Amino acid sequence: MKFVLAAVLAVVLQAASPGQPSYEKANALFVAQKFAESLAAVEEALRLDPKLIPALTLQAKLAMAANRFDLANRSLERALVLDPQAAYAQFLYGMTAYMNNEMKDALARFRKARELSPKDPRVALYLGLSTESVGTPADALALYQEAIRLERAAGHPQADTLLPGARLLLLLGRLEECETWLREAVKLSPALRDAHFELARLLLKKGDSAQAAAEGELALTLSVGSTPDPAIHYLLIRAWTQAGKPDRAATHAAVMRAQER
Amino acid sequence: MGGSVFRFLLLLTALEAAAAPPPIRFEEIAAQSGLRFELQNGEAGGFHQIELTLGGVAAFDYNNDGCTDIFFTNGAAIPSLRKTSPKFSNRLFRNNCNLTFTDVTAETDLAGEGYAMAVATADYDNDGFADLFVAGVKGNTLYRNLGNGRFAAAPLPLPDAPKWAVSAGWFDYDNDGWLDLFVANYVVWDAATEPRCGTPERQYYCHPNAYQGLPNQLFHNNHDGTFSDVSAASGIGRQIGKGMGVSFADFDDDGLTDIFIANDSVRGILFRNEGQGKFTEIGLEAGVALRDDGYAIAGMGADFRDLDNDGKPDLLVSGIVNDSFLLFRNLGGRKGFEDYAQRTGLLMSTRQLTGWSLGMFDFDNDGWKDLFFALGHLMQLDRYLGRQSALPNRVYRNIAGQRLEDVSSTAGPAFQVAAAHRGAAFADFDNDGRIDVVVTAVNGPAKLFRNVSAGPAHWLALRLRGTRSNRQGLGAKVHVRLPDGRHLYNHATTAVGYASSSEPLVRFGLGTNRAAAEIEIQWPSGRLQKLSSVAADRVLDVTEDGEP
Repeated sequence: MKFVLAAVLAVVLQAASPGQPSYEKANALFVAQKFAESLAAVEEALRLDPKLIPALTLQAKLAMAANRFDLANRSLERALVLDPQAAYAQFLYGMTAYMNNEMKDALARFRKARELSPKDPRVALYLGLSTESVGTPADALALYQEAIRLERAAGHPQADTLLPGARLLLLLGRLEECETWLREAVKLSPALRDAHFELARLLLKKGDSAQAAAEGELALTLSVGSTPDPAIHYLLIRAWTQAGKPDRAATHAAVMRAQER
Repeated sequence: MGGSVFRFLLLLTALEAAAAPPPIRFEEIAAQSGLRFELQNGEAGGFHQIELTLGGVAAFDYNNDGCTDIFFTNGAAIPSLRKTSPKFSNRLFRNNCNLTFTDVTAETDLAGEGYAMAVATADYDNDGFADLFVAGVKGNTLYRNLGNGRFAAAPLPLPDAPKWAVSAGWFDYDNDGWLDLFVANYVVWDAATEPRCGTPERQYYCHPNAYQGLPNQLFHNNHDGTFSDVSAASGIGRQIGKGMGVSFADFDDDGLTDIFIANDSVRGILFRNEGQGKFTEIGLEAGVALRDDGYAIAGMGADFRDLDNDGKPDLLVSGIVNDSFLLFRNLGGRKGFEDYAQRTGLLMSTRQLTGWSLGMFDFDNDGWKDLFFALGHLMQLDRYLGRQSALPNRVYRNIAGQRLEDVSSTAGPAFQVAAAHRGAAFADFDNDGRIDVVVTAVNGPAKLFRNVSAGPAHWLALRLRGTRSNRQGLGAKVHVRLPDGRHLYNHATTAVGYASSSEPLVRFGLGTNRAAAEIEIQWPSGRLQKLSSVAADRVLDVTEDGEP
């Protein structure tokens, strides 16, 4: 009861912050990807209230968008000194380490974030990714499963959350489980090229080169996702070759070579 | 019923235990054998890329006494790239045939100059003495073995600008009986203009993406001690890469030797030898250009041999942490390759490793080539991973061409010692029939891993002497049929791993067989030579004979 009262009080105090209007403006500009204007607004918010934690985390996000992880860390560390329970700041603090490939720090920070926010699927997902990077795939897979469970519990399963686990299952040779995850990802986000690409990889691994080629060709037509074109072309070279259509394979090889020049 | 099943399982377990070969084991004997060499990268806090990539070593018999000698390349001061101190000298150690070595660098005139990276050995002038090619950051040197215990620099065509070469290899691409030279070039580099990464307070080595790649080079042997640069005419020079390891094999069995180059963070290159002095790059079509997910790993070392005893050379490539090492199984002819790293267990077990040189050799002589990896993370990875950059090496046992089992933990206490390993060369230095390994380490002592694997397995090594083919028979393909019905395949090459050069002998582990029932040698000249009922446990000298 005391905790609830304290939380309510904190919200009231936050709402009463003189920097709040500037912060809200900065956040809206950030969402609109007007980063320079957003930065000016967030700095104004922090001038008015240097202890405004949402403004500090937004300042960190802006720094991360500019690849200034040193500045992001500074903002986040300040936020976490002010409020060690600031779960989102702690998550972002993990992200700065993760994006800088500093996995030892990332693991420690995400573990702390997970303590603060055990129901946040993003934290479980990125803790899983960090865990996989340092070579403990079984633990990573458990975390991916947990992230998906949390998303399902919240009623918002995401294809992007299914894919890291599916990739790991493919690496581990657990093809049937992988296919289950990938089919669900495709169903959730039929316009996501990453999901179709991974499904194509799986199908090729299972020997279904014709279907792999079909999925790969579909992936190439989709613009949403982070799988680069060359990766899809390379898959299609192998899929069409195995499907007995070397002319189709040659077309993709020619595209890759043209892009290399 | 239950009892009989239990007894059957017990019997099966007993049979498996009886069949399990003794562990692959190594002793490290460099210091006690007089092999005292420290690879010096000349680092002085400048985070120069060249500091990361040196360390080539060669295993070759320079004086034809039947005992394999060792040549180490070495770094230099930075930025002068001069060997300003004896500590930077390249070094040749003569094998005294009693498990001791003597430093003969001075008397052989091989101390060298410049910042050396790699070495490739072969008898390019067919005079019966193995010669040396030393590749470096700002220039390469070809040393001709004079046959009197000395070497002399020999001419090579000068490039328009010095190129940083990381590996090289000898092969006879046109089967004219004379060895040609392939040089794998890395990136454009100059100490003064090199990109700087990080901040002044926290500098680090730049990613290879910060550097411009280079084409490789091919030099045709003119049969008179000179070479012609045929990089452009052959098609080799058209492909830009960031070349690291190079290896050769006739992957499509058309009688012409093909070339694979592992590239750092750009795709791998496979040059198919079309004959008539022309090569076509087919890495994409063959399925060896990229990792399965289309990602370009930081390719380092490469070896191109038949891993599963199906007569078709397979391809092994090392990479850095989170790459996983690549293993491609040759499907035969022009069908290309398939990913074999996952099925054999290599993919996941190498995911946390950074590998440099490597080799596919049958360390336990059971008839299946095993894998050896020289390991060491890039120096700057300490703080990223929260672990030491130094790594112990790894050895994997090949289980019937189906599985690769990491048996490093039982390979002996010295094998567990971590270092920044780089080059590795493979030879039987003590002539006991078991393949040994010499390994370099950045700013640390070289290691000589003497293979002391126990067990009764038999072996056979072929020392080839070409008459119409090149003198060492490099490129010759050897097929051994064993009395137990098994077929083994290997070919003669010294281009193995990363920046390094291994013995030219063609080796086979025969398992429990005391002889080879039949041996077929397909010489580069086209001649096919057959031998029958060849007794095991010896080095067999074979001179090229027979009709093409």
